[in-house]
Amino acid sequence: MVVENLQITPLMEWLLGAGWHQGLLWQTAGIVVLAILLTVGGLGLLTILRRSSDTPGQAVSMWVGSLFGVLSLLVLAAVALCSTAQTRAFLTDYIANPVFHVLAPLLGTEWSGGALYTWLAVAAGLTGIVYAVCWNSAIVVGGPLVGTRQCGAAVVGIFSDIARISLRRIFALAWLAVRESIRRRVVVVFVVFVILILFAALFINKDSLHPGQLYIQVVLNFTIGLAMLFAWILSALSLPADIRDRTLHTVVTKPVRKLEIVLGRVLGFVFVGTVLLAGIGVISYVFTVRSLSHTHQLTVEKLEARTLPGHRGTMLRGATSKSHAHEHEVTIIVRPDGSAAAEPVGNAKSASGGQAAGGSGNTWADRLDATVETRKDHTHDLYVSGSGDTAVYTLGPPVGQLQARVPIYGKLAFHDKTGADKDKGINVGDEWTYRSFIEGRTNAAAIWTFSGLREDMFPESRFPNGIPVEMTLEVFRTYKGDQERGVAGTISLENPETSKKVFLRNFSAKKFATDVQIIPRSFVVAGSDGRAETIDLFRDMVSSDGGLRIIIQCLEPQQYFGMAQPDLYIRAADSSFAWNFCKGYLGIWLQMALVIGLGVMFSTFLSGPVALLATIFVVICGLFSSYIVQLAGGSIVGGGPFESITRIMTQDNMTSQMAPGMQTNVIKAADQVTSLMLRYFAAVVPDVSNNDFVDRVACGFDVGPDLLTRCFLCEAAYLLPVILLGYICLKQREVAQ
Amino acid sequence: MQPEVVIETRNLSKVYRDFWGRQKVRALKALDLEVRRGEVFGLLGPNGSGKTTTIKLLLGLLYPTSGQALVLGQDATQVAKNERIGYLPEESYLYRFLNAEETLDFYGRLFDMPRAKRRQRTADLIEMVGLTKSRRRQLREYSKGMTRLIGLAQALINDPEIIFLDEPTSGLDPIHTHEMKILIRNLQEQGKTILMCSHLLADVQDVCDRIAILHQGELKELGRVDNLLKVRDVTEIRTSGLSPAAQEEIRQVVAKHQGTVHSIGNPTTTLEELFVRVIEESEAHPGRRVRGEQFVELSDGEQG
Repeated sequence: MVVENLQITPLMEWLLGAGWHQGLLWQTAGIVVLAILLTVGGLGLLTILRRSSDTPGQAVSMWVGSLFGVLSLLVLAAVALCSTAQTRAFLTDYIANPVFHVLAPLLGTEWSGGALYTWLAVAAGLTGIVYAVCWNSAIVVGGPLVGTRQCGAAVVGIFSDIARISLRRIFALAWLAVRESIRRRVVVVFVVFVILILFAALFINKDSLHPGQLYIQVVLNFTIGLAMLFAWILSALSLPADIRDRTLHTVVTKPVRKLEIVLGRVLGFVFVGTVLLAGIGVISYVFTVRSLSHTHQLTVEKLEARTLPGHRGTMLRGATSKSHAHEHEVTIIVRPDGSAAAEPVGNAKSASGGQAAGGSGNTWADRLDATVETRKDHTHDLYVSGSGDTAVYTLGPPVGQLQARVPIYGKLAFHDKTGADKDKGINVGDEWTYRSFIEGRTNAAAIWTFSGLREDMFPESRFPNGIPVEMTLEVFRTYKGDQERGVAGTISLENPETSKKVFLRNFSAKKFATDVQIIPRSFVVAGSDGRAETIDLFRDMVSSDGGLRIIIQCLEPQQYFGMAQPDLYIRAADSSFAWNFCKGYLGIWLQMALVIGLGVMFSTFLSGPVALLATIFVVICGLFSSYIVQLAGGSIVGGGPFESITRIMTQDNMTSQMAPGMQTNVIKAADQVTSLMLRYFAAVVPDVSNNDFVDRVACGFDVGPDLLTRCFLCEAAYLLPVILLGYICLKQREVAQ
Repeated sequence: MQPEVVIETRNLSKVYRDFWGRQKVRALKALDLEVRRGEVFGLLGPNGSGKTTTIKLLLGLLYPTSGQALVLGQDATQVAKNERIGYLPEESYLYRFLNAEETLDFYGRLFDMPRAKRRQRTADLIEMVGLTKSRRRQLREYSKGMTRLIGLAQALINDPEIIFLDEPTSGLDPIHTHEMKILIRNLQEQGKTILMCSHLLADVQDVCDRIAILHQGELKELGRVDNLLKVRDVTEIRTSGLSPAAQEEIRQVVAKHQGTVHSIGNPTTTLEELFVRVIEESEAHPGRRVRGEQFVELSDGEQG
C-alpha cells in the first residue's frame, strides 16, 4: 500500500494562508484579543456596577475603580503595542501623531520632546500598569464587584489622605527621625570626614599638574562617599527597626496618615544630611583654600637684566622660589620713564594696591609690564615696593586656581579639506570618537557658531581688553617635529548674517593646554583693497540676532587639530568660586536626598537588610543605565542574559553564532522579553550621577542656574513617585504582622 | 435606652498566611462582639486565643480576612477614627531615647494639638501617673512599671472616647496594679469606654463590667461579670459579731430546711488588698512595723 501526500501543509498556513505571520493583526493577535476582552469586560462591568452600588461612598469607589480600570487597560494596550517595531509604527501613525498635531497649537510645535510631557507619559504608563495588575489581582481574589470597589476605594483613599496631611504631624515625625539619627551616632560621619581630611595631605599627589582640581575632587568625592553611606544605611534600616520593635504601633494608632510617616522620615533624614553636608562643606572649603594658598619669593639678585633694543626699556627675567613643588618664571619689562605700553599687559601692582595700567604713570609700578608664568593652572600678581635697584618684588596669593567660569558654548560644525560642510571631522584612528579632527594646510576648518551675544554682556569695565575665548585643542602629529613648540593654527571670525570673514591672528596649540585668545572690541585688518580696515567686533562681526562664528584652522601640513563642541567657548564671566563650591555640595545633597527617598520607600515593604540591598541595587543600576540600554539594544557582543548564561555554561565564546534549533529560539525569545524589560527599567531607574557636579566644579566651570534647576526638577520628578510608592506600600502593609 | 454601640465586630475572621499565601494560623473565627459606650469590656483567654489579634484588628494594625470591624461606626482601618481612641500596647512600645515630656509632646503633635494645649496636657498626664520627678529621664532608664504608666499617659494624650488596653497590669507590682485599676474605674466614670484584654483574671474581675472569653479564636462566653460569676445554687450570707453559739444555731436552722452548710468561718480578704493596706499604713507611719499579731488582736477585739 502506497501512502501518498506525505507532505502536509502546516495548520496555520492552511487556515490563514501563507505568510500569515507577517500580518500585523496576527503578530499582535494575542495582545489585541486580550485588550479587547479586558476592555469589553471592563465596559460590561461598568454597567453591572452601576446597579449594584449601595451607599454614595461605595458608588464613588465603584466609579473611580472602573474609570481607573479602563484607563489602565488602555495604557496596557499602548505598552503592548510598543513592544515591536511594527506595532510601534502603527501606534505612532494612528494615535501618537494625530494627538501630537492636535496639541501642537496649544503646547508648541516640538512639545513632544519636552521633559515634562515625557514624565507625565511615563508616570501615567507606570500608574496604569500598576493599577491594572492590582485590579486584576483584586478581581481574582474577591470577584469583579468587590475587587473593583476595593481598588476604587483605595484610589479615593489615596486622594483623601493627600488632601488631609498635616504639616505639624510631618514635622513631628521628621523631628523623631532627627532624634533617631543622633541616637545612631550620625555625628560619626562628621568625625570620619575630619580625620580623612587631616590625613589627606599625606596621600594627595603634590606633583599634580592640576592641584586645584585634585583637592576639590578629593574633598567632594570623600563627601559623596560618606553622604551616600549615611543616607543608604539610615534610610533603609529606620522603618524596619520601628516595625520590628513595634514602636510604629503607637504611631499608626494615632491619626497619622502613612504618607506623613514616609514624608516625615524622608524630611528628617534629609535635614540631618543637610546639616552634615553644611558642616563638611565648610571644612572642605577651608581645607581646599588653605591647602592651595601659597606664595613665592622673588629676589632681585636672581633676576637677569637685559636691555631691550629700540629704547624699549630693560627686561628682568628670573625664577621665583619653590613652593608647593613648583616655581614660576617671572618676566618684568621696565619701560623707560614716561613711555606708554601699546597694550596693557601683565599684572604688576604696587604694594599699596594700585594697578599698573600701562599708562604714563609716575610710580615705578606704572612703568612695569610684568608676566608671571602660569604653572599648575595658576599665576600670581606681582607686587612691587620701592623703585629702581632697591625695588622689592613679592608675589601675591595664587590667581586662577580656584575659579568658576561661565562659558558660552557654540554649535560646532566642520568643513572638510575641500571646504564642504560636514557634521563631523575626520577620525585619525582614535577609539574614543568624542573629538574629530581637521587636517592642516587644507580648507578643513572647525566652525563654532554662537548666538545671543550682546555688547552689554561684555562691559568694558570687566572686559577691558576684549572678549576672552578659551580653547583646549587636541593635537595629532603625523610627525613629531618640535614637541616644545605647539602646532600653528589660525583663528578667524565670520558674521553669519553678512558672511563677512576676517582673519584675527595665528596661535600655537599644545596638546590639551588651554589657550586663551582675546578678541579685541576693535582691531585693524587688511581690507580686500589692501588698505587697513578697522573692524568693530559687535557692529561688523556679530549679527543682528547676536550670532558670531569662530573658525579654527590648522596651518601645518600633516598635522591635525582635534576638537569637540565644548572645547571652545567664550568666557562670558566668572562666578564666585565659593558659591560654585556650594553648588557642588548642592549636587551631593540632591544625590543624598534621592538615596534617602529610595531607602525609605524600599523599607516600607522590605526588611532592613533587603531594603539596603534593593537601594544599592537601584543606585548601581542607575549609574550603569547607559550600559543596560546598550545591553538591551543588543549592541553588546554576547547576547542577552539567557544567551550569556548559556555561553558561559557551554564555554562558548561571545562572537560565535549559536547553533540553530529550538533551544536557540527559546533562548533568543526569552532574551527579547528581558531586553524589553531591561529597556523600560533603564529608562525609569534614576541615575544619581546626573547630579554630580564634581568634575564641573573641579575643572573650574560654573554650575549654571539652568543646570541646577533642571537637576532639582529631575529630583522632584523621581522623588514624588518614589514617596507615593512608599506611601502606597506602607498603606497596604499590615504593620502588626 | 441602651447606650450606643461603639465597638462592633461582625463575623470577624483573621487567618495568618505565609509569604506564599498558604494558611498558617486561623487566629480568629467569625467573632461577633458589641461594646457599648461607657462600659469596661474585658477580653479573656489563654495565650493564642485571639485577644491581641482582635484588638489589633480593631485598631487597624491588621486587616481582617473576612468580616468587619467597626469602631465608632467607622471601619477600623479608617485613620479618622484614631482621633477619638487611645491605645496602650502590651509592652508600651515607646521610643526609649525620648524622655517622658518629649514622648507625650511627640504624641500630642500627632494629634495636631497646638503647643500650649500640648504642654498643659503633658504636665497634667505626667502628674496623673505620678512621674513628675522622672519626667526628664529617658525612657530607657525607666522601670517596667514606670514605662507602663507613661504608656498609659500617651494613650490618654488626646482625651479619647475609647481606650484599648492590652495587658494593662502586666508586669506591674501590686501597688501599681491597684492604681491602674483605680485609674480604669476613674476613666469609666468620666464616660470613657475601655476595651482591655488580659490573662490576669483577678484584675479583669475587679474592673470589667462585661467580659468575653476567647479560646482558639472562637468566642466561648460573653456576658456581665457579676452574672457569669454568680453561683446560682449557693447562698452567701456575710455577717459580723456572731458568737459561736449563734453560728451553731444557724447551722441547725439550715439543716432544718434541708440545706447544707458548706462552711462557717472568717472570710479572707485578697492578698492585694492586704498588700495595699500594709503599704499605705507604712507610708502613713514610717518606721513602725505592722505586725501580723495586731491583726489577730484586732480580730479578737471584734469577736469579743
